[in-house]
Amino acid sequence: MLLAHPRVRTLLSSAMFALCAGFSVVIVAVLGLVTWFLVSRGWAAMSLDLFTKLPTEDLNNPGGLKHAILGTGQLLLMAGLVGVPMGMLAGVYLSEYSNDSRIVGPVRFTADVLTGVPSIVVGILGYELLVRPLGNFNGWAGAFALAFIMIPIVARTTEEMLRLVPDSYRAGSLALGATKSQTITRVVLPAATGSVVTGVMLAMARVAGETAPLLFTALGSRFVTFNPSEPFPSLTVQIYQYATGPYQGQKELAWAGILVLISLLFVLNLAIRAVTSRSIRSRVGT
Amino acid sequence: MKTPAATPVPTTASAAGPIRVGVAAGAPGVNMLDAIRRGEKVTGYTHKEVAGEKHVLSIHDFNLYYGKNHALHDINMHIAHGKVSAMIGPSGCGKSTLLRSINRMNDLVDGVRVAGEIRLNGSNIFDRSTDVISLRRRVGMVFQKPNPFPMSIFENVAYPLRIVGEGRRSRLEEAAEKALRSAALWDEVKDRLKGSALGLSGGQQQRLCIARSIVGEPEMLLMDEPCSALDPIATLKIEELITQIAGRYTVVIVTHNMQQASRVSDYTAFMYLGRLVEYGPTAKIFQAPALTETEQYVTGRFG
Amino acid sequence: MNPGQASISPPHSNSARRRSLGDAALLWAARGSGVLILLMLAALLFVLVRASVPAMQTFGVGFLVTTEWRPNEREVPARGPDGRVIIEDGETVMRTLPAEFGAGPVIWGTMMTSLIALVVAVPLALGAALFIVRVAPKLRIAAPLSFLIEFLASIPSIAYGMWGLFVLAPFLQSVVEPAIARALGDVPGFGWMFTQTVVLADGPTRRPLPLTGRDALCGGLILAIMILPIITAISRDVLKNVPKGQIEGTLALGATWWQSCWGMLKYSRSGLFGAVMLGLARAAGETMAVAMVIGNNNQIEFSPFAPAQTMASLLANEFREASGGLYQSSLLYVALILLVMSLAFNVVARWLVVGKGARTAAAH
Repeated sequence: MLLAHPRVRTLLSSAMFALCAGFSVVIVAVLGLVTWFLVSRGWAAMSLDLFTKLPTEDLNNPGGLKHAILGTGQLLLMAGLVGVPMGMLAGVYLSEYSNDSRIVGPVRFTADVLTGVPSIVVGILGYELLVRPLGNFNGWAGAFALAFIMIPIVARTTEEMLRLVPDSYRAGSLALGATKSQTITRVVLPAATGSVVTGVMLAMARVAGETAPLLFTALGSRFVTFNPSEPFPSLTVQIYQYATGPYQGQKELAWAGILVLISLLFVLNLAIRAVTSRSIRSRVGT
Repeated sequence: MKTPAATPVPTTASAAGPIRVGVAAGAPGVNMLDAIRRGEKVTGYTHKEVAGEKHVLSIHDFNLYYGKNHALHDINMHIAHGKVSAMIGPSGCGKSTLLRSINRMNDLVDGVRVAGEIRLNGSNIFDRSTDVISLRRRVGMVFQKPNPFPMSIFENVAYPLRIVGEGRRSRLEEAAEKALRSAALWDEVKDRLKGSALGLSGGQQQRLCIARSIVGEPEMLLMDEPCSALDPIATLKIEELITQIAGRYTVVIVTHNMQQASRVSDYTAFMYLGRLVEYGPTAKIFQAPALTETEQYVTGRFG
Repeated sequence: MNPGQASISPPHSNSARRRSLGDAALLWAARGSGVLILLMLAALLFVLVRASVPAMQTFGVGFLVTTEWRPNEREVPARGPDGRVIIEDGETVMRTLPAEFGAGPVIWGTMMTSLIALVVAVPLALGAALFIVRVAPKLRIAAPLSFLIEFLASIPSIAYGMWGLFVLAPFLQSVVEPAIARALGDVPGFGWMFTQTVVLADGPTRRPLPLTGRDALCGGLILAIMILPIITAISRDVLKNVPKGQIEGTLALGATWWQSCWGMLKYSRSGLFGAVMLGLARAAGETMAVAMVIGNNNQIEFSPFAPAQTMASLLANEFREASGGLYQSSLLYVALILLVMSLAFNVVARWLVVGKGARTAAAH
């Protein structure tokens, strides 16, 4: 057999080594390619108007994306107000009350599974639950869909971070005569604050870039609005609509919008990294 | 082989309940530790001086099971008020388990069962009506590894007061200073009370934990090998501290360091495989123990 | 009880009551949110099933293999029992076919794009994971490399969609696909790759396939880029968990670098398979990027150069315009199939990854 020959084995090993290194390079190269293109194309189309102007009637001079940016901000706020507390409570349940009942295991598993549900299906759920009964596309449904995506993510990351808090803190607090809820709210959660915030930011980042769940819930709009009962604009949907439309001016705006979006997500990811290392450091006591 | 017969045991009744005093091991030549290892029932030897003290804690026929494992056997002990009582014995003898039963921290372990009584100032702590949270306020605990919370030094010491609803800044500061002084830590930290407790050295952290456990004026202080994670100098400081606060507090300390036990404690209990073997004044335990088994242990001939 | 001695507080003092209230409140709030998670999954399944009932009743399970997706009615020549067109008064008699829906094309499209994505992404991801775990630590680039690859994951779907639409698709159209066509077009056995089925009035026929670059291949490639980070990250974690003893053991016996790697791959094969399944689940559910580059053609074609449709892209493109109960219900039936499929992949994948690799961590 060919492999019996030591020279062949060594050659094969070197070849596979080069292949693995090469694959890593390919991945990074692809990343570089895509990112560089998106950034440069977006930068070329960028202007301050993007943030200050509203859409105009002139389809070749489409104004700005101010309405969409405000829309996404509001949607994230609404989704966060519901999704973050609910998710954190679920995380507390999974971590601190894990002996409470036989449903803890299924809850954990379900949360994991929910994070893998295609976001367009979540959008359809939002449509069925909040658009159909209300009779029109609206911002509530959009926020609902985003919160639905957020909750399992926040729950699992909160749980993981709370588990990292040493048991000695819990024992120390209980030995001092604190109740379980006091121990959780005064010692355990504060000890994990940095990393819990990280989890929340991760969920926000994931949700900020979502388009599909908003397509049939908030729908999209070309007007600034603060009323969630009507169709609601968002950065992602607006970009999609402009990019797939026929007007070049709108496509330019779409590119600029993409740059805004990926810059936001990049900053969030960097912050997440920074906060993570700091909170780990503080937990160790240095 | 015949089980060593228990000689009729004269009992002295006291307000805290009957104590058994007297020789237990029975026929000469019979090693009590062998009997224990064989699983035979034995009665520990308690020196008569114990009976003369005012008692804060009485342990009656206390048994503890970890699932199927019978960890503590028929413990009968009285802890003297205002004194330091040490528990010594080889690893696995149950001294920490017994300590943790006093403030019911064993409740947190799955599958623990108890039988018998532990009475704190007369009330059985295992009674259904006992508020465990309250119990833990009245019985403080210091752990083997210092575990200050990731908060400021001040907040650590103030924590036990905050959780019972004390919010007044003046009260908190006053109590914190008093506790930190008692723990011989005040001078070292008075200028950095807002600093993180995790920035203190190991010995300082442990003194902080001691301060935290006495700020609520507990009736008893339990210490589970408080110096085993510390260097010799820090250990010495804590031992000094213990002798200083004795009198004001009743201290029960578990230690595997016999020299430490002989230095700081008034009474010492020697335990083996979950049984109380001998219990009496420290001087007697270390210099003139009643049982040869105890003498063998404290002179280092085994364990 | 000794008179005059402080006793243990009875449980009905004020502060004790307040404290137990706080405890109960947190417990029930926490329990409630746990139940909420379960309800969320239940709601998804319940709502989709209920809305698909009309379509399920009309088409049954055959929906999964039916290949016709036609929201509009269609007129076809009526044919007699002998198969010949009926002519009355000199005019062909037409029959109106009702709207018909079948998920065959989108299931096919989903499978094809996912397959292309896996074929491209899995070797790349495994190779990179091996590199990160075995080589990169010595060069101190393990962390930056992992970070870069995970950064790929933070780029949103529409960004990939736009890159695909304006960069990759034109590139495929003008450079790659013509090159392949030139190379393989005349090779016997590859003809199917460059023709497509077109349905004319008198039946289906094969015509040359216009290469637009917006096809299953483009969709698959974009998906490959998008699932690279997740497969790489999980594979890396799984490979990291291979005990050092295993690796050192093989090396001590004189194995080459690659042979010890192969040993690692074999040792963690269930975890790696789980990683691949998670990537597959992600690929199947990915919507925006695919919708923008796949060509939106609801027909089963075997050629990767033919425009196609996945379940997710179908929903993205047609859901809003869907009128009429059966049309919407069929779309919801498709959504249900998509949901069940991704749930199944996720469940199996997590069982594989958690079960074999990190069970100790999960049980903690």
